[in-house]
This record gives sequence, structure tokens and C-alpha cells, in this order.
Amino acid sequence: MTKTRVLLAGLLAFWSGSALAQMAPRDTLVVLRAIDADNYDPVRSTAIASGEVVSMMGDTLVGMDWDMKTVVPGLASSWTVSPDGKLYTFHLRQDVTFCDGRPMTASDVVYSLKRLADPATHSPVRWRAGPVKDIRAVDKYTVEYELNSPFSELLYQLSLFFGTIVDQNSVEKLGQNFGVQGFNGTGPYCWSSWTPRSDLVLDRHAGYKWGPPIYKNPEPQVAHVIFRVLPDSNTRLAALQSGQGDVTQYIPFFALDGLKHMPNVHMSQQPNYFLDYFLGFKIDKPVVNDPVLRKAMVMSVNRAAITKFVFFGAADPADSLLNPATLDYDPKSKGMEPGYDPVAARQLLDDAGWKPGADGIREKGGVAASFTLYGLSDPQSNRAWESVQADMRRIGVDMKVQLWDATVGWGKLATQDFDAFVMSYPYVSAGDALNLYFPSGNAPTPNRMNWKDPETDAWLGQAREATDPAVRAKALADVQEKVTEANVWIPLFRGQLWVASSKRTEGVRAHGLYGIGLYKGLDITVGK
Amino acid sequence: MLALAFVVALVIVALFTPWIVPGDPYDNDLSIAMQPPDMTHWLGADDQGRDMVLRLAYGLRLTLLMAAVSLVLGGGLGMILGLMASFYRKLDGVIMRCMDVMLSFPAILFGLALAAILGPGVAPVILALAIATVPLAARIVRASAVVEMARDYMEAARAVGMEDRRMIWRHLLPNCASALFVWATLRFGQVILLGAALSFIGLGAQPPTAELGAMASQGRTFLFFAPHIAVVPCVAIFLIVLAFNVLGDGLRDALDPRMRV
Repeated sequence: MTKTRVLLAGLLAFWSGSALAQMAPRDTLVVLRAIDADNYDPVRSTAIASGEVVSMMGDTLVGMDWDMKTVVPGLASSWTVSPDGKLYTFHLRQDVTFCDGRPMTASDVVYSLKRLADPATHSPVRWRAGPVKDIRAVDKYTVEYELNSPFSELLYQLSLFFGTIVDQNSVEKLGQNFGVQGFNGTGPYCWSSWTPRSDLVLDRHAGYKWGPPIYKNPEPQVAHVIFRVLPDSNTRLAALQSGQGDVTQYIPFFALDGLKHMPNVHMSQQPNYFLDYFLGFKIDKPVVNDPVLRKAMVMSVNRAAITKFVFFGAADPADSLLNPATLDYDPKSKGMEPGYDPVAARQLLDDAGWKPGADGIREKGGVAASFTLYGLSDPQSNRAWESVQADMRRIGVDMKVQLWDATVGWGKLATQDFDAFVMSYPYVSAGDALNLYFPSGNAPTPNRMNWKDPETDAWLGQAREATDPAVRAKALADVQEKVTEANVWIPLFRGQLWVASSKRTEGVRAHGLYGIGLYKGLDITVGK
Repeated sequence: MLALAFVVALVIVALFTPWIVPGDPYDNDLSIAMQPPDMTHWLGADDQGRDMVLRLAYGLRLTLLMAAVSLVLGGGLGMILGLMASFYRKLDGVIMRCMDVMLSFPAILFGLALAAILGPGVAPVILALAIATVPLAARIVRASAVVEMARDYMEAARAVGMEDRRMIWRHLLPNCASALFVWATLRFGQVILLGAALSFIGLGAQPPTAELGAMASQGRTFLFFAPHIAVVPCVAIFLIVLAFNVLGDGLRDALDPRMRV
């Protein structure tokens, strides 16, 4: 099968080489991607497609190491935290300039982070700034970030692209068109032009040398970067193999195995990649409000088979609420997650009074074990939901799948019209994931499960405000165990991050912070 | 005759699917996903490890059902409007201009609009196909009926004071029926193709429902690795449409006196 795939992929490349346009231009890195974003303003977009560009156009106070746990210096060369965990003092680099040449100072940092935290901005990620009391410039290169209560996640959150430092003049001049018609940041590459759903072109930031210390060379190595949208996976693949594109993280699952054996393609994997697929239940809706039924459904899904045959090994089965490699992961909760056992699942349902009806679908008290699942349509993962559906049908549960295009899907997923949903999400730590989905205050979205539990809220509060990492880990472990025991989610699969690059590129290494493959894109060189 | 026999066979398979090909079309076995045709699975297995023969039979059933229902709905309404337009000349201009407006919208556009309102599924596709069929049927029936209206027997019926309703249903309609019947046979193939196209772009039957267009769409991702998943439903669509077209041509030849010369 592998040989066949390689051969066919080679034929595809040969065919596409003649059918498509010329090779990628010199001294230019062509990044191939599946979709475009609607804007490139760090406080207005949560899309990975936006983040992968913003990460190159701008910088954050702190960065993230390859292990996805260690916070490293960014625009701040050092920082201190007060003993009560409420005051962070950042000491900024003094050699940083924006793309227009203006030096970056503390007032720019204050403006950018206040913009994120300000309710008037209506940022969907405002919560990531924590309970801000004040952000102020102490002097030209020192910023104080004061909180109303400790927020132990702050540094991790500030490493994400949402905390990118931007130029106030540019934001005020462009208004709602900031990140649409232009962008002025301090990143290694500068905004040049954008043709929506086609090419977004960046030029090298002259004089940039303040990249995070995780790179061998803190300076950008190529003159231009083009982010090119090729929605069709086969076309994207062909463009990479024929040299019309240089690098992509959007690899169709079926092609991953073949690409690994391709002599003209280099593959880089990030083992510490936190992007999980899960199925969540609205626990207050009929049918799925039955904990026994939920447990049986967890036991019915053959995650190993789906990752092997549907994802072609490009994902791993998830047997715990969170990735074991993530910060503050609780190993005990893994043992509480029911494993695949359809026979026991059927027995569980029989014992609970869910009896098979004439059509094989179970019933209890005149109510059929049938519910509606919503999700966003994605050619890569749609097939997986069909497999989950078949697995549930095998134990007598009818799951109706309704997938929506992303343009309307997010709106649909904010309603109460469905009983369960499927989603994938990137995260940086256990606290990041749990604080997003499980606080009562985050219902109905992103807490689409309507999980309103005072104990969970208290534990999450303790974790947020903990100044001792052990206290934080304990509180988050309690949440993981309680949520796992209630089977609020079916943790399904763990995404893998692979970045494929053509032979003419060197230094490509998958990073994966918030799902972003190239992060700053430093160390990457492009040959002829 | 071959086309007729093929169509009859299709209808029989569609009507008696559970008895002719027993089994659950939704039952999957991922370990045989994308398996090429062999002695156990004559047409191979799809990407979910489901038997393609079963999927094909159930897909055929739904595809024919979608086409038949939309043709009956759209053709029926179009026929009534065509008869009204020809019988009541005052209504002719209004009805036929409305039909002209409807004709200016392709069926795919109706499908897109309805899917946006109702969500994707079989019902919106049937509705879209029915709406797209109405003006075509109306024009065909009106064209025949206008000719019939000028004939002596219609004049005679009017002269003896026959009721409008009786004139339309007992005399006008039967004399337009042959043209309508031939057109419906030809249209059936087109409707199948349009329905499959709408399902192909994701507006029709949703997974795991077996429908030929949706099956073709699902298989195209694996065209290079498991071509049978897309090829089997595509060949089926081709043969069905061809059979209905040939049958329609044959019926026209048989029912048109000019063709007997």
C-alpha cells in the first residue's frame, strides 16, 4: 500500500508539475495552507490561519520553547513576579523596532495588552489576559502588569499570538481594517500585501535580531514569505512535491505515510503537540443527560481503529481528557476513562433499562436513545464522525450527525439546538484547556456542555490564583477527575503536527504553539 | 428494449432492496476499509469498510426515490399550470412569464438556496429539483395543449356546454399525456444527474446515508488509492441516466406518428 501511495503521489507530482504554474520564486518561502483567515488582528481572530501569519508579523512579551512547557524571553528579556502573584514586571529589550522603523517602547506594550483586556474591544480571547487591574509603563522599557487576583496561566497566555504587540498609530489609522489592509508589528517579517483566499505576502523585517532564544539564528533568513491558500488537499500536495510550494502543515491524512518515504520531502514532527478532538455532551439535554448512556457511548468508540484506518495513523487515540505531555496533566484521571469495550457497554445499557427496539435502537420509558450531534464540516475529519456514529449504532444508540460549514457553524454551535458536538482545539496547558471549557460562566459557549458545577468552579479558581505550582496542579487534577468520571466528553483523538517541506528548504522544524506549525519561521533557509 | 429491461431491473432492485441484497448498509468494518473488489465483497469496500454492493443498492433506491418524488411534484404542478395557461388564455401571459423567471435560475442555485435555509439533506434536494422541474413541465404541457385547444373536438365540447374541469381532465389532458410522458422519461435522467450533483457538493444526503452522488463525492478523496469507491457510483449514475435517455428516445419514437414514416 505504501509503495503504491508513493508511486501515485509521484505521478501526481509529475502531472501537476506540468499543469500548474512555475517554481516558487528565489529567496522566497512559499507556505501552503488550506484556508485563509477573515482578518489578521491578534485580538479579533482565534483562527490558526490567522495566528500562523500574525506570529511572523509580530512578537509577544514571552515565547514558548519546543517542549511547550518552558516560557522563554521574547520582547521581554526578563520578568519578575511578586510573591502574591498579582504583579508581573517585564523588562523589555531596547533594540526592538516596528516594521516602519519606529522603536518599540513600554507604551506600545501597555497599549497592545490593554487593547486585549479592554471589554470595549470585544475580543473573543479577552479572558486570556486574566483579571487585569492595570497595565502601566514604569519607564521607557519596563512594564508592570497588575492583576486583581493571581492568574497562574498568565505567562502561557501571553506567549500566544493574541498578546502580540502592535503599533498604536497603525491600529488607530486603520481602525477595523487593521490586520485587513495592513499590519505594523515587530515580527521577523512585515506585511506587504494580501489577496484574500489567495496570497498573503510578507517581506523581511530589516534589522530584526530579537527572535526567541529557541532558534539558532534570531534573524530571518529569507527575503519574502508568501502564505498561499490551496484549499484542495491533492493540489497542495502536488504543489509541494513539484517545488511550487516550500512548506505546509496542512497534510491530508492519507498522504502522510507516503510523504514520509518521499526522497524530495522533509518531514518534521512536533511530539509535544496539543490539539485534541473530542465529543462533548450537553449534559442537561434529554437522552444524553443519562450518565450511564454517556459512559456506554464512551466505551463504544473504537478510537484505535479510527486513528489507524480513518486518520491513516496521522492521529493518536485519546485515552484521557488531556494530553499526558501537557503541563498539570493528571495521570489518575486516565485510569478513570472507560476503555473500548462494546460488549460491556451493551451490558451496561441492558442493566440500566435501555432495551433494543425493533430497529435496533434502544429505548427507555418510551424515549429512544437518539440524539443530534453538531460539528464543523472538515474533509479531514468528517469521516471520523461517521465511524463514531457506526460504533454507537452497534450498541443501539442513534447519533444523528449534522455538520456545518464554518461560516455558519460557529453560530449554530452557540445555540441549544443540539445534544452533542464534536470539535478540535489547541491548548497550551491543562489550565488553559479546563479554564476555557468548564467554568459555569463560559456556558453556553465555549462551555457548550452546560457543565455548571460549583466544585469545578472553585477548583478552577484555586488553580488560577495559585502561586504554588503544586497547588495549581492539585486543583486542576481534581477537575480532570471529576469531569472524566462524569463522562462529559469522549476524548477521541490527539492530532499530530507534521510539517512537510521541500528539498530546497532547510531548517524547518515543527513548533505547534496554538497549532501553528512554523511559529516565527526563523532558521529556515531557501535554496535555489 | 435493453434500456427498458435495465430500467425495470433498477426499479425492482430499488423496490425490493432489503430482500435482494440483505444486510445493513451502515454496518462497517474498518479493518477492510478501501478493500478492492474480491469474492466476498464484489464491488469492494468503501472508506468506512462498508460493502459497496449494499451501499450501491441502497444508494440506487434513494436516488431513484429522490428523482421520482421530485418529478411527480414538479411535473404535476407544472402540468396543472401548463393546462391552466392554455385553457384560460387570460392567465397565459402571467403563468408563462412566471415560468420564464423560474427557468432563469439553475437547479443548483435552488439547491444552494434551500440548503442554506433548511440545511443540507434529502428534502431540500427534492424540493429544489421539483421547483426546477415545474417550468419545464408547464412549457411542455402548454405547447401540446395549445395545439389541442384549436382542434374541433375541443370546440365541440365547448359548444355543448361541457364544464371546464371535465374538458381539461377528460379531453385536454389525455391528449397531451404522451408528450408529457416522453418528456418525463427524459427528464428523469436529468433529475438523477442534478440530484447526484447536489449531493456531490454536500447539499444532499448526509453521511452515513447511501446516495449515489454523495458516495461519488466521498470516494473522490481516494481516487488515487482506492478508485473503486468513486468509480462504482459514477458508473452507476452514468448507466442509469443513459438508460432513461435511451428509453425516453424509444418512447418518443414509438409515440410520435411522424417517426413511423
